[in-house]
Amino acid sequence: MNPRLNLLLRLLLVAAVTLLAWSLRARAASLLSIDYDEDDYLRAGQQFAHLIKTSDWRGFLDTNYRPEHPPLAKIAYAIALLPLPEQPLIADVPITAQPASSLPEDQLHAARTEAALFGTLTAFLLALVNPLGGFMLAIHSFTIKYTSQVMLDGLASLLSLGTVLAYIQYKRKPSNGWMVASAILLGLAADTKFLHGTVGFAILLDWLYTQRSALADPKQRIRLLGKVLTWGLLSIAVFFAANPYLWPNPIARLQETLDAVRYTTTNPNVDSAGYPVWQQLAWLSMSVPWDQNHAFLFLADTLIAFLAVVGFSRMSKKESVFGVWLLLELVVLLVWRTKWPQYILIVTAPLALSAGEGLLTLWQPVVDGWRARKSAKVYAKTDTRRALPWLVPGLIAFALLTLIPLLFQIGISLTDFNATSIRDGFHGGLWRAISGGLTGQLPAQPFEVGVRANQVNFIGWNAYAPVFRYITSGPNGWSILFFNAMWMVLSVLLQCGLGLGVALLLWQRGVRLSKFWQALFILPWAIPELIGAQMWLNIFMTDWGWLALAAQKYGPTSFFAVVDQAVNHGTSLWLIVFLIPALWYGFPFMMLAASTGLKTIPQDVLDAAAIDGATPWQTFRSVIWPLLQPLLVPALIVRGIFAFNQFYLFQTFYFQDATLATLSYNVFNPNSGFGPNGGQFAVSAVINIIAVIILMVFVSLFNRWSKAGEGVTYA
Amino acid sequence: MRRISWLRQLATQLALALIGFFVLLPVWGIARLAFDGSLKGRPTEFRLTPKLWSFDAFLKVLDQPYQSVHFTVLLKNSLLISLGAALIAILLGVSLAYAFARFRFPGRQTGLFALLLTAVLPPVAFMTPLYIILGLMQIRTSLLALVITYAAFAMPFCIWNMRAAFQAVPKEMEEAAFLDGAGDLTTFLRITLPLALPSIAVAGLIAFLMAYSEFTLGWLFVDKADNVTLAMSIYAIVQTQYSGGAQPWSYLGSLAIIMSIPVVIIFLIFQRTLLERMMFGDAS
Repeated sequence: MNPRLNLLLRLLLVAAVTLLAWSLRARAASLLSIDYDEDDYLRAGQQFAHLIKTSDWRGFLDTNYRPEHPPLAKIAYAIALLPLPEQPLIADVPITAQPASSLPEDQLHAARTEAALFGTLTAFLLALVNPLGGFMLAIHSFTIKYTSQVMLDGLASLLSLGTVLAYIQYKRKPSNGWMVASAILLGLAADTKFLHGTVGFAILLDWLYTQRSALADPKQRIRLLGKVLTWGLLSIAVFFAANPYLWPNPIARLQETLDAVRYTTTNPNVDSAGYPVWQQLAWLSMSVPWDQNHAFLFLADTLIAFLAVVGFSRMSKKESVFGVWLLLELVVLLVWRTKWPQYILIVTAPLALSAGEGLLTLWQPVVDGWRARKSAKVYAKTDTRRALPWLVPGLIAFALLTLIPLLFQIGISLTDFNATSIRDGFHGGLWRAISGGLTGQLPAQPFEVGVRANQVNFIGWNAYAPVFRYITSGPNGWSILFFNAMWMVLSVLLQCGLGLGVALLLWQRGVRLSKFWQALFILPWAIPELIGAQMWLNIFMTDWGWLALAAQKYGPTSFFAVVDQAVNHGTSLWLIVFLIPALWYGFPFMMLAASTGLKTIPQDVLDAAAIDGATPWQTFRSVIWPLLQPLLVPALIVRGIFAFNQFYLFQTFYFQDATLATLSYNVFNPNSGFGPNGGQFAVSAVINIIAVIILMVFVSLFNRWSKAGEGVTYA
Repeated sequence: MRRISWLRQLATQLALALIGFFVLLPVWGIARLAFDGSLKGRPTEFRLTPKLWSFDAFLKVLDQPYQSVHFTVLLKNSLLISLGAALIAILLGVSLAYAFARFRFPGRQTGLFALLLTAVLPPVAFMTPLYIILGLMQIRTSLLALVITYAAFAMPFCIWNMRAAFQAVPKEMEEAAFLDGAGDLTTFLRITLPLALPSIAVAGLIAFLMAYSEFTLGWLFVDKADNVTLAMSIYAIVQTQYSGGAQPWSYLGSLAIIMSIPVVIIFLIFQRTLLERMMFGDAS
């Protein structure tokens, strides 16, 4: 293509993304109701605006309302307030207070507009790197929310993205100008919101990593470290220079700031929210669950998170610092004790970029597949004719037992069939609704949660969006789909680790009793899941379990009591109660798969490695692991699918919101002994179909990876 | 590679013993309950061993584990349903499996994908439509309904595995028979089927085990005490316990042990083959 045309096209795309970002943020700024902290930052802005108007420059030395955050963004809000008439100062309330019920209309509007402007500029910058990435950031609902309200994250994410982009320019064409720019922007980002300053560590890591050859050479090392040090000191200098509040007494003021920061992580609101360690990842996987007034037109954050996982390696190959940035901020989010959702804005820029790359990653196979379709295979007619007598009876049975029920399930999902309309449904109502709806004779009724008609109605696809929203962004930040995915990854990793470890232990030459141990370890695999779950319930049950009884017997300071307290009453460790049984069930399978693989490794290969003086780790990494992979990866995927569908374990523990399978069962169960939600047949059908679609992705993966299973590509 | 040193041997044995402890801990926890004759309801104190050794719980659950239904009735139901489901899945699936293994025809790729997809669905995915379809046919609460349901979700898995078994039979043997004038059906019955039979039996075994240990769909469908299975009665005991029922918890322990023993024996005998089948492959 003509390079000029290409550039023009790119600029047009960037302009479109910027326009989209602006209109979405402007819309949200006018529709969102007042949130936590907005009154604080607006009050701080009022104070600074007053200082500017009265030319009281000395006042800057002693003004920083909410000292846990540095003053830069608050000063920026003051500038937006300058043209407006002054209003009485907003009340000073404790940081644990509820959101303000009303704020000065014009000031709120001006400050929110400014935030939206910063948010739009961030999307614009990202679109310059990759228009698709910019698009993802433009529509990301959490990013929109916190860059359209009076928060600190709009300016902060603009500055942190700027820091990274300046560093990339420096990396591509080392000139001191870009290095200085990056240091200045970093200092300013830290002056806006401390957490956004962590981007500096990402740059540091990337810098040292990409220059590791220079690190090895003593002469170059000094030069490199000198540069890095200059950059770091410069950013610290900027941090102090642009933070007048620190000037009068840096030590005391920093101490005050640190105390205030500590209070933000220990105040009673943090504990009463009860968010688990992984909550920030859950926020990242969901769209804003509190969409007042339809402030967001797109609720696609779940899709963006999924695409970001897909595109991560492609993005990191193109520019490593984005990958390092994304990972580092995820670690920060996991470690940081306070789990308020606005903190995820430290990571949404690289996340959106990764999602853009993910879209491109997925796009390629689609194009290839479409091309391959056109050159369809020619089948021998005789073969097809010979196949028919075998195919027909089998197909009829398969269709009757499996396919037709699944298709019928789609039909049910288009209705509002439930336990109340069961009479009508079984007397022709179901058929009337489905056929009437599909032939266009019946208009689709709206779907409403909890409304149970006596008659079956056709509702079309209306239930899908609300149900999907429920399973991705549930109330209180709980997302079943996220938990389901996290569960799958964690339990399979644990199973694989222990299974492989045991297999390696038993594989050593001359281990005594190895047959006995192997036979013993197979035991959990052979015990039906229901019974295994029962056994673990017997240990972990609150109050009545073995552990709780031991805690009672040995007193509140005993080991048992400490464990019981942690797993049965903590916020995050309860996951262990499920992971331990999952490990117990699953590791034998992985052990057997790994053992089978290990047997295929020829002894002379290992002898050769030993003669070459390879360490055990090197032998494992470059000899054993590559030979094991073809067997372990299919086993991992099979276990992964199994964990995704995990049902009996959670059902035995009465944990209904764990996986799609448990949710579907409990939403369906008309004689539900627990929970008021049973008997919603159509809703459970919708959940099942969503699960089937997700499993399709796994099966495609399985086909690609599996050599042992030969999969669909087997010729 | 040399034999390992005694120090490493010791460390290995210690690690293995630790894992062995982890494996046996929950089993011991339930066995302790099963053999404790002193339990009136839930256990009220922490003990490592039964307070009063006794086989009473075993005798009780071997007599009437669920309401007044006799153990043999439950066992009969379990076996009937599991055998029925496995037989249906195998018999009705065998021709499709062979078609996928031996012939090339349009739509084969899509068919294989559909097969693998349906094989990995959770039982719950079939629950909604089958409950309604069988309800419409007015057989929902019968044992036949459970046979059909369990067959429905065992069938894709069985077809996939039988396909692998047929593929493992060397094509040359079939072609030789074909050249000798045998038709497709004769070749299949005389050559392929006998050779693939052991693998088919294992696929059937897995289908059997699926049905044998399933209980949630069972409770959803069945509403007569006479149609309850062993797995269902275990869950019934659990529910009674949750609601504070007065049954000794030793019943649960002993029934769980009785139910597990045959399965454990099957797994120990067939471990290698079962592993391959469950990985959806024919790695050998």
